[in-house]
Amino acid sequence: MKSRSGILVCLVVAAVACVGLAHASHHEMNAKTPAPLVETYEALGDAILATKKAEWNLVHTILATTYQHAQGAFAKAVSNLEAGEDARAQIEALAELVAQLGNEGDASVAAIRKRLVEGGHHHNAKGEEQGVYEEGFVIVTRDAKKQFLASAGAIGKLAAKPDAVALKAEWNKVEKQFAQLHETR
Amino acid sequence: MRRAELGRSGTVALAAVLALTTAGCSGEPEPAADRGGVARHDGFHFVDVAPEAGVTRVVLAGRPDKDHLLDSAGTGAAWLDYDRDGHLDAYIVNSWTISGSEITERGRNALYRNRGDGTFDDVTERAGVGGEGHWGAGVAVADYDEDGWPDILVTSFGPTVLYRNLGDGTFENVAARSGIESPGWNTGAAFFDADGDGDLDLYVAAYIDCTLEEMLDARPTLDWKGVDKVAVGPFGLEGAADHFFRSNGDGTFVDATAEAGFEDLALGYGFAVRAGDLDADGDLDVYVANDSDANYYYRNEGDGTFKEVGMWTGPAFDAGGAAQAGMGVAFGDPNGDGAVDVLVTNFSEDFTTLYHGDGSGFFEDVSDATGIGPATFPWLSWGALLADLDNDGDQDVVIANGHIYPQVDRHPEYELTYAQKNLLLENDGTGRFVDVTDEAGPGFAKVQSSRGLAAGDYDDDGDLDLLITQLDEAPVLLRNDSATGSWLTVVLEVPPGEGTAIGTRVVVEAAGQTQVRDLASSESFLSVHDPRLHFGLGSARVADRVEVEWPDGSRTVLEDVAVDRFLTVLKEP
Repeated sequence: MKSRSGILVCLVVAAVACVGLAHASHHEMNAKTPAPLVETYEALGDAILATKKAEWNLVHTILATTYQHAQGAFAKAVSNLEAGEDARAQIEALAELVAQLGNEGDASVAAIRKRLVEGGHHHNAKGEEQGVYEEGFVIVTRDAKKQFLASAGAIGKLAAKPDAVALKAEWNKVEKQFAQLHETR
Repeated sequence: MRRAELGRSGTVALAAVLALTTAGCSGEPEPAADRGGVARHDGFHFVDVAPEAGVTRVVLAGRPDKDHLLDSAGTGAAWLDYDRDGHLDAYIVNSWTISGSEITERGRNALYRNRGDGTFDDVTERAGVGGEGHWGAGVAVADYDEDGWPDILVTSFGPTVLYRNLGDGTFENVAARSGIESPGWNTGAAFFDADGDGDLDLYVAAYIDCTLEEMLDARPTLDWKGVDKVAVGPFGLEGAADHFFRSNGDGTFVDATAEAGFEDLALGYGFAVRAGDLDADGDLDVYVANDSDANYYYRNEGDGTFKEVGMWTGPAFDAGGAAQAGMGVAFGDPNGDGAVDVLVTNFSEDFTTLYHGDGSGFFEDVSDATGIGPATFPWLSWGALLADLDNDGDQDVVIANGHIYPQVDRHPEYELTYAQKNLLLENDGTGRFVDVTDEAGPGFAKVQSSRGLAAGDYDDDGDLDLLITQLDEAPVLLRNDSATGSWLTVVLEVPPGEGTAIGTRVVVEAAGQTQVRDLASSESFLSVHDPRLHFGLGSARVADRVEVEWPDGSRTVLEDVAVDRFLTVLKEP
């Protein structure tokens, strides 16, 4: 909440500065937009575009982190299965993480995404119009989401019927799907 | 509590010995065969008898243009036997009317006492259950304090109300001292035993976080298809967190939302809640239909905690992986495989979703394959029911419909209407559905903006009637005059202080078919069905076996049970 307030303060300061500049320029009878305002807008434009890039990077990092956790859960599950030990918890954790790949994060991330959409921010506005992305999604397409969710379900079912071969096969699908995310950038 | 623990006090006895049938008991319904019953017609036939039955109080619904989503969310209905006279009474939740930004009338909830002759008395004022001036939303019914009398919980845009039944025809609101008021826009609620300790805990869903002032000041400003302005939301409005209250066992509750694993981090726009055993492990899970968000499936971990597993077990999204606009929910078994299936109603130009369960907690969207999807696509759907309406041994579907934007009527080119017909989809016996709405009698010919839907056999003739709330109109009471087969309705009785019947599972075997029902405190859209569990039995003349699995794991088994009757089963201490 503090960071949100900080951004708000910066924007207010910038707005006040702009109003001041505009007022000062009023008497100069110049047909051009005052240079300081253009420069300020230029800087703000850079910041807006950089923010969008930062959003992509952040979501990419969320996905990469989730994938790393999934790799760990997969390795532990296989290890347990091959050792004849209980792997239910690891398999369910893997299923949950794969579902999170499809959802670009967990419920906390979903709440942030919803707030952004509520505020009118659509990272992939054009892609949403074309039906490629769900509202607010940054990297994961609808098709990719569907595939991740299908794999998550298939993996989850293996918790009750452990099968290392089947688990590896399903994980291979996840790996391929995850690799394809980068191709769609 | 796991299934492995079941049966520790199981008993098997002849039906004639243990079954306490209602026939001949003072003040209780007799078998339909002895009463002559109603005239039968070929096929489905429903007639609205609300006016002559005395169910006439109008459900208020905000402003004419539905400026805010609250104006068009509607209210629930409940069937209960509040005075335990053996006749099913009705309870209808009410809200307000608003003019501009002024509250012009605070509607009163209505309790209708069944006279036993097909008509009702409005006993709201005497009973003291008219609401506390809040904008009412949903209802759940359960004997939360185990005194033998059903209590009524009403969710509101405002504090939740808990009407404790005093057993003398009156109630008192004990929400504040029970610790469950939880102000906000609360919607669906479910009493259930979350931790297997024998008393009822409570889950309350919440929709959006908004103030009274925001609601009163709201105006239709959201662009609709580029041709009109309609109420904003739910996108653009902040979701509100659901709550879970754990019972202290003394009539009070403590908020245990996070501790129990119900932390609503996604702030889903929650509507209907249903508790039931989705993974057949003997404990009760929780399903929440979220509007425009992934639905929640909270799996009971068996230790009083829950884990949200909907994302990877199937029932959070449709087959395409997309979140829908969940409104109402029904549990049932329309394909007769013994596993719980889940029906979720959704927005207009989307389909109602039927998830087939595999019995282990995984679900598959079969809406298209079963015919549910195509039949429901145009309608904006709320109340949901899976029940056998023609007593042929399989569960049919009823869906209550009505748009939220009155403005759609100004644009006929989109072929949408504000008032809509409700749907009756007949199970063809294989789990596929056929739309028989237009052949279901005058009751299904009405077009209104329907919301809550509760099924109950109010006239005790062995078939299920339908109580449906409408916006800005009185409810309809659709008496079922359909052609029917034989039936058995199981009445569960738990002695005071001996736990709860909520969560009890009943399995009936007849004519080579096995059917399962469970008792819930709420279902559909913010509503409550008949607490007596109804089974249609087709041509069977006897139920070979009736097995009652009580929430504590004990069982009562009856064999060779005569049909076409109410069968009261008393839980042994």
